[in-house]
Amino acid sequence: MKKYLILILTLLAAAANAAEVKLLNVSYDPTRELYVDYNAAFAKYWKAKTGDDVNVSQSHGGSGKQAQSVINGLEADVVTLALAYDIDAISTQARLLPADWQKRLPNDSTPYTSTIVFLVRKGNPKGIKDWDDVVKKGVSVVVANPKTSGGARWAYLAAYAYALEKNQHDDAAARNFITKLYKNVPVLDSGARGSTVTFAQRGIGDVLLAWENEAHLALQEFGADKFEIVTPSLSILAEPPVSVVDKNAKRHHTTAVAKAYLEYLYSDVGQEIAAKNFYRPRNATIAEKYAANFSQVKLVTIDQEFGGWTKAQQTHFADGGVFDQIFQPQ
Amino acid sequence: MKTTKLKQLLIATVTGAQVALPAFAADGAATGTNGTAVVESSAASTDGGNSSESAEIKTLKEQVDALVQKVNALEQQPAQPAPDEPTVNLQNLDQQVRILERQREIDRDAAVAKAATTPKITLGANGFSASSADTNFVFSLHGLIQTDSRTFFHADGGTLGKNTFLLRRARPIFTGTVFHDFDFNFTPDFGGSAVQIFDAYLNYRFSPEWQLEAGKFKSPVGLEALQADTWTSFNERSIASDLVPNRDIGLELHGDLFGGIASYAAGVFNGASDYNGTTTTQDVDNSKAFAGRVFFQPWKISDVNFLQGLGFGVAGSYEDDQSSAANLTPGYKTDGQQTLFSYAGNVVANGKHWRISPQGYYYYGPLSLLGEYTISDQQVSRSSGTPASADLQNTAWEISAGWVLTGESASYNGLTPQHSFNPTLGQWGAWQIVARYANLDLDNAAFKGPTTFAAAGSASAAQAWSIGLNWYLNRDVRLNTSYSRTTFNRGGTATPTAATAQPENVLFTRIQLAF
Repeated sequence: MKKYLILILTLLAAAANAAEVKLLNVSYDPTRELYVDYNAAFAKYWKAKTGDDVNVSQSHGGSGKQAQSVINGLEADVVTLALAYDIDAISTQARLLPADWQKRLPNDSTPYTSTIVFLVRKGNPKGIKDWDDVVKKGVSVVVANPKTSGGARWAYLAAYAYALEKNQHDDAAARNFITKLYKNVPVLDSGARGSTVTFAQRGIGDVLLAWENEAHLALQEFGADKFEIVTPSLSILAEPPVSVVDKNAKRHHTTAVAKAYLEYLYSDVGQEIAAKNFYRPRNATIAEKYAANFSQVKLVTIDQEFGGWTKAQQTHFADGGVFDQIFQPQ
Repeated sequence: MKTTKLKQLLIATVTGAQVALPAFAADGAATGTNGTAVVESSAASTDGGNSSESAEIKTLKEQVDALVQKVNALEQQPAQPAPDEPTVNLQNLDQQVRILERQREIDRDAAVAKAATTPKITLGANGFSASSADTNFVFSLHGLIQTDSRTFFHADGGTLGKNTFLLRRARPIFTGTVFHDFDFNFTPDFGGSAVQIFDAYLNYRFSPEWQLEAGKFKSPVGLEALQADTWTSFNERSIASDLVPNRDIGLELHGDLFGGIASYAAGVFNGASDYNGTTTTQDVDNSKAFAGRVFFQPWKISDVNFLQGLGFGVAGSYEDDQSSAANLTPGYKTDGQQTLFSYAGNVVANGKHWRISPQGYYYYGPLSLLGEYTISDQQVSRSSGTPASADLQNTAWEISAGWVLTGESASYNGLTPQHSFNPTLGQWGAWQIVARYANLDLDNAAFKGPTTFAAAGSASAAQAWSIGLNWYLNRDVRLNTSYSRTTFNRGGTATPTAATAQPENVLFTRIQLAF
């Protein structure tokens, strides 16, 4: 009888201690599927570790727009955005996290990477093989607006880097190249997912400049008989970073679980989920295991080619920057 | 989907070609590419009517037959694929259509997203308001201007009242919300001889049931005193409101329970004297007043229509005043705002001061009833004279009634005319008649002794009745007129020059703008 009583009391105590924790992950456009898988895995992990249920809500959109939403008051516990500049903006404009946020997790807080590839229609009717083909007259290019989309900024910079490499770093030539490219863009979506819809569902354009994971997802979603992926000779190493939004998490009393949520991205489980969703994992062993998913391509980095995000942002994407100068809406 | 669009485009293109063809065929007839044109030409030639023409017709018929055979032969051949160029054009057209459709989609999404973040600005009968799209931040500007006249009548042998126009209230009212849950109100008044701050408070809404208010606002005691200045039945509140505090500075917990069936307010304040019409901004002692009120509207959300507007409750306050003249009333006022009672010069509040006020109202359709009874018990003392102290218990009550002649529903929070004033459309707004009786009874102890606590000329009681007519031209503009007569019971020594020496008869008018 006494044993039963102790057991009942223990169970009651455990039940009383268990809690449901809510997190909001504000992310960029193409990570929907990744975080659906990852959130389920993390919830299982957290339940086993602490006994608490964790319910992670997702919010997706163009990375720049998402960052602005957090600055304007969207109560994100964590942000998993397309590029570091957007999280820097949350730090500098809203002071919701420290300026050195990127040093808090390995690999500058980028648990996975990606790059920009081409998605073309089956049979590649326009014969698009590299960036030079993309700027040819008569080729219709689909890409999102780099003012609002992180993926579009990576795509813009990948093309620009290619032009610089090809023209012995002649900036004027590179600018001419990028001007030609955007003359071929008939419509700008605000986010990467929108541009995938434009290309794959609305049937617009000959080539989509896409996140690598987004291109693979399109093949899965719409069928390999409709599209094919073309890897250019050079692209950019896209490093989507993650961070706890300290002040929000503190206010929600979710700091511990938010930190664990991001740290778990670096675990074997987290890295496997990233790789399965066609993000390039940081873990070398898992990267090797999924090597077949990723084409070999020469990747330049934002730091080496453009002097880091702050400089790149100011030069190319700030109001009055290069993009504003070269792009004329059609 | 795509195939359908291409077919549509093809049909459109072919149709266009057919329409254009006859003009182009005038030349084509010579080469025999269009039988119809040839036949029409020959028919025109037949109208000439000679033998050479008949031969010519015969020749032409042979040519037509030959052409028909050729056409038939061509029709027997398998269909040839369309030339490349038209296909390319169609594809381009198809892309253009798709791009336009997609652009419209994107523009629509952008418009929806923009609308979700665009601040809203409204201007209407309730003033000017600007709010963030999520309504977390709201700023509103309201206003209240009351231009009154008071005309005193000499029916009973003279009065000290002054016939005058006056700007009774002139208040810009700034209200709003920050971060969704924090409401504020800032209301200065420019209507008196000096600018005063009437309301300045911040209210935190944790929930409808739990709200915390801090700053300067109305102390939760008197029912008529708590009614908005915009919606009182008469120009001036009754003499029953002489015994309750006006605005005070403090902290109050309040809320509505069970969907508004019950409401409560409990606060701690600096402590306001009875009828402090000017309202204070500084405390005069270290003691604090506690004031509270509970009010019930049991049928407010029921289906019993005739009881929905019934409300009743009780309010009270308590303070242990330290010796200070400033804690005493500056004077109880008549409807005409003349002093009917005040304390002698050396009398101070000293000790307990409590009030209790049962109160209630009833609104049903055009009918309105409001009543309250108030006891204000004040311990006083004085530096010289006998007796040195006293516990004075003053009481007052009032009952007022109204009827909206044009049928609109009255309420504690005012009424809105069914049709705003517009003579060209035969619309005259809303009309309401009102009546009120009020009684104020001062403690007889205030008038006893060799030297009285009451100042010379103070009345020991007053009875006031009033009737009035209110014209609501629209929600914002209201005209009032009312007549009030107050009679007095003489307290101590007769003072022929005092306002209380004879009944007060006064005619009020008001032009009010409230938005």
